[in-house]
Amino acid sequence: MLFGLLETGFPLFYWGNALMILIGLGFIYLAIAKKMEPLLLVPIGFGMILVNLPLGGMMDYEMMLKAPQAGTVMEVSMHEGDAFKKGGVIYKLDSGEVTAPVFGRIDTLRVSQGQRVEKGQTLGSILTMEQTNQAELPTRPVGLLSRIFKFGVMWQILPPLMFLCLGALTDFGPMLANPKTLLLGAAAQFGVYLAFFLALIFGFSMSEAASIGIIGGAEGPTTIYVTSLLAPHIIGATAVACYSYMALVPIILPPVILLLTTKKERGIYMRPSLRKVSKLEKILFPLITTIIVILIVPSSAPLMGCFMVGNLFKESGVTDRLNKTAQTTFVDIITIFLTLAIGASMPAQNFLQPRTLLILVLGVVSFATAAAAGVILAKIMNLFLKEKINPMIGAAGVSAVPMSARVVQVMGQKENKQNFLLMHAMGPNVAGAIGAAIAGGVFLGILG
Amino acid sequence: MVDWGLAIKTAIGGFGLVFGILVLLGISVELTRVITERITGIKK
Repeated sequence: MLFGLLETGFPLFYWGNALMILIGLGFIYLAIAKKMEPLLLVPIGFGMILVNLPLGGMMDYEMMLKAPQAGTVMEVSMHEGDAFKKGGVIYKLDSGEVTAPVFGRIDTLRVSQGQRVEKGQTLGSILTMEQTNQAELPTRPVGLLSRIFKFGVMWQILPPLMFLCLGALTDFGPMLANPKTLLLGAAAQFGVYLAFFLALIFGFSMSEAASIGIIGGAEGPTTIYVTSLLAPHIIGATAVACYSYMALVPIILPPVILLLTTKKERGIYMRPSLRKVSKLEKILFPLITTIIVILIVPSSAPLMGCFMVGNLFKESGVTDRLNKTAQTTFVDIITIFLTLAIGASMPAQNFLQPRTLLILVLGVVSFATAAAAGVILAKIMNLFLKEKINPMIGAAGVSAVPMSARVVQVMGQKENKQNFLLMHAMGPNVAGAIGAAIAGGVFLGILG
Repeated sequence: MVDWGLAIKTAIGGFGLVFGILVLLGISVELTRVITERITGIKK
């Protein structure tokens, strides 16, 4: 208490909060000084800072504390405002203890020593920042960011809407001009399934492993969407891994490409001109894709449907206002909500665990193997193709649109000044985005 | 306890399904091109 008037955050502030604030500051530094994904890292970093300042309450959820069995209260072990770890004893009854099912702090205590309580009776309420399984431990959001997180992310509204905006920003032309590149985007999904398997070996559950594997899809909204449905308690780690590695594509991709290709292969020349794709083809593609994909994988409907309707806004030529809004104002609004909420899903008590480090490692493995699988398939395809493709464009199948295609362009120019690989790499790039959404839908269909 | 049978099915089946759908999309793209060329009479 400050002068007996005001409760400050200092008593609850610990080294974990300080570390998370430093990481948040690091994100903001990278965004401002190094210009790395500033639209994502600034709000994510700021959200991390906000949620690690105790008593701010922006990410608080209220949870009712119920008596697990009937009994008489022998001792009230905590007071209102006290912080506790998961498993901390709150009441001692003559029939057993009442422990905290999550980390947090006491909001209200409704029973006192000597009082008789019945099984299931409400003993008080606690405030927590943990994402819980709502069927087992229902919570009510009471902070600004927890409300955005619950109704935007957990209700699966913001990620599909972000996909709608991405659809409006995506040009499928290079992929339609050279449909072989769809195979490269498909091959890159190998990384998703390898990481899924590795995560299982490291002791994660099936739902957690799927959420970790999908990081390799390199699509932030897909990762958030799948994790929010399958393993909401690790959403901070998977989202940060995905967005961080998307920003680090210029560092992750080149070693993988250099390891798997010879100098001669990297220098393979591809003609810069792709065939001109008609407007009719561009209009038909989102319609055909929606019908085929959702009929086969219905659980991909929210992501795929929004992706393709956004693209139809762009290609139809008659919805300019919708297209312009989706590409500018709307994508910015969704980005603000989504990234602040994701940053705020990382309180130190939740994030600073050995498992988080493992998720980050598995995430980078997923990314690297996705790129490797694309390159290897491109090399295999070259065994059969008359007009060879530069195997580096396979690495762009990792999605992370358009960063990975740009990396391939830069590397291609280094090997052969005449080579302009950007448009060729955009094919597997956007195919990878479609592949990731389908892979997410498949996980949800099997495990959801 | 991990159900390894389901895990293997999820990994292999899932990857196969994703690959298969994208191949199907590739075929659809080619078919669309051929059909639109026939309709419009313009070869690209």
